Amino acid sequence: MTQGSTLELSVVVPVFNEAQNLRPLHAEIAQALERLGRSSEVIYVDDRSTDGSLELLLELRREDPRVRVVRFRRNFGQTAALAAGFEQARGKVVVTLDGDLQNDPADIPALLAEIDRGCDVVAGWRRHRHDGLWLRRIPSWIANRLISLTTGTRIHDTGCTLKAFRKDMVERLVIYSEQHRFLPALAMGSGARVRELVVNHRPRLFGKSKYGLGRASRVLLDLLSILMIARFSHRPLQYFGLISLFFTVCAWVFLFMSTVNYHTWTLITKWWQFSVFIFGMLLLLVTYFILLGLLSELAVTASGMHRRRVQDRLMIRSH
Amino acid sequence: MNQPTLPATTHERALPKPDQAARAALDPLAASASGGHLQPLEPPTLDVTVIVPVTSPDAEISEVVAGLGRELAREGRSHEFVLVFDGVRGKAWSDAQALGEKLGDRLRLISFENPFGESVCLSAGFELSRGRTILTSPQYVQIDPLELSSMLAAIDAGADFVTPWRRPRVDALLNRVQSACFNWVIRRIIRMEFHDLNCYFRAIRREVLSEVAIYGDMYRFLPVIAHRQGFRVVEVPVRHLKEWGTSGFFGLGVYVRRFLDVLGVMFLTKFTLKPLRFFGSIGAACSLLGAVMFGYCVWQKLTGDQEGLYGRPVFLISVMLLVLGVQVIGFGLVGEIIIYTQARHLREYRVERVYE
Repeated sequence: MTQGSTLELSVVVPVFNEAQNLRPLHAEIAQALERLGRSSEVIYVDDRSTDGSLELLLELRREDPRVRVVRFRRNFGQTAALAAGFEQARGKVVVTLDGDLQNDPADIPALLAEIDRGCDVVAGWRRHRHDGLWLRRIPSWIANRLISLTTGTRIHDTGCTLKAFRKDMVERLVIYSEQHRFLPALAMGSGARVRELVVNHRPRLFGKSKYGLGRASRVLLDLLSILMIARFSHRPLQYFGLISLFFTVCAWVFLFMSTVNYHTWTLITKWWQFSVFIFGMLLLLVTYFILLGLLSELAVTASGMHRRRVQDRLMIRSH
Repeated sequence: MNQPTLPATTHERALPKPDQAARAALDPLAASASGGHLQPLEPPTLDVTVIVPVTSPDAEISEVVAGLGRELAREGRSHEFVLVFDGVRGKAWSDAQALGEKLGDRLRLISFENPFGESVCLSAGFELSRGRTILTSPQYVQIDPLELSSMLAAIDAGADFVTPWRRPRVDALLNRVQSACFNWVIRRIIRMEFHDLNCYFRAIRREVLSEVAIYGDMYRFLPVIAHRQGFRVVEVPVRHLKEWGTSGFFGLGVYVRRFLDVLGVMFLTKFTLKPLRFFGSIGAACSLLGAVMFGYCVWQKLTGDQEGLYGRPVFLISVMLLVLGVQVIGFGLVGEIIIYTQARHLREYRVERVYE
């Protein structure tokens, strides 16, 4: 719901129980914006904080006319907060920023410079992280390696909230679930120029982290769906076909290896029951995934998404 | 006096508002974006609309309308009644027509030729409603009408949805036990403190119904769905007067249907936008179990078990589990495709207010 982007820059900050951090954070953001000298707004999305963050935000809003505050009806999580901020943003460029002071607002001008150079998405890279090694940094490293391996985005740090987006280009990407970490991959999938920039990262001063290790399996599953969506949403049959092909190869290789003695090139009948059973099961999976692929084609066709103008779906530059 | 006897059909839907129509013209997907945002045909001009789904020809229409009407009048709230006849006529229909003569514009009748269920009744009634608060009532005097004042007071105090808690209950012991079990299961699954989801004497703010889509048996879980969307749901203890319907065991079909309802609500409230998380977890659990059993069999074979693998049930089951797990994950992938293509514009969050 953009009322015609009239501002240069929107800064979106999701806030959940960050009362102690808000004042220093806003002071830093304001300082960075002063230095930029562009027309801008700061959108704080209050994810239903319980520690009086909202009152503080409203105070900030009285002091600084650039501040807008969005309040949720209940706690919906960080992705939802980012999505809501994105929707409310009026600026041509949207910068997202953590509410816990760990990102440094002084990095905003550098991100904007990259955008001015023609990027659509600039992702922050916390090269020197100040978080726990075992619980935060190692899981995050594994997740990032997996994401960049499978989606082909060469991004080191997808979990960093500090990112800049060109609004008109990215607004068609819809984020849901906990997919904010995959935004660069999604953006790339629809043809955006994505770049990475080393940003400052500071240790947490007040409040406590809202993340634990429990999201590992969820991140893996989300990764699987992102992989499919970023690469195969236009041709799901091929995606499922690939899986089918994998099982077909498995089935024949298995049958061959378990029934043929390749020293003497004779049939082994000793395990034939076992072999045929496993072979049959694998063929079952082959058929099954082909059928699922057809079903998905049906869903894609029925959605009519390909009847929309290409400009509305993909990022095309007209020169 | 108008003629409120014109049978409406379920095909009558609210016309899209101009801005919606404009968006729909730009973007074919916008139709799904506006899904669940159903506005009644007329703007709210009254305080309360009472919607009564009528499913039996013996419905106590006059008593319900008289009791609630008296209380609403005493509270000084302007109100109207919408009676939705779900494929029944009989005595209730003639009662309703007699009432219509008396109440005029304040009573509207909708009738279906076939029974479509309470969800459709509720939606149809809502489309015709003019009240700022919607009150749904059973077709007989189940709850003391005097409780209206406390329920409406809760709405005035800021609640979006008031759900009753019959306490103490007056129906048969067996019913109470079954109901308690049902509500306990719901509380476990949904992790919310509801004690009585089976009573449909509810006060609902208009905005809730225009955002929460109701279909199938979802009317039962309306408080749960409203809560998930961020509305404030308040439970108010009410006086239970009597109970209609069968007592005793309901028959196997009813229990199975209830179970499926709970499953459906759990799935839809938690995983609508992330189906792979649901299917993926189940599939991974199956595969993992299968892999462990498979490994166990192979290990036994390698350490000198003479019996063939194929002859062992554990082995067969392990392979079946592996296959099942992979298939279930496949379902999740199709779910993701469906959500990505059809429902990308569904919003997971609800904004209470934007402070400009």
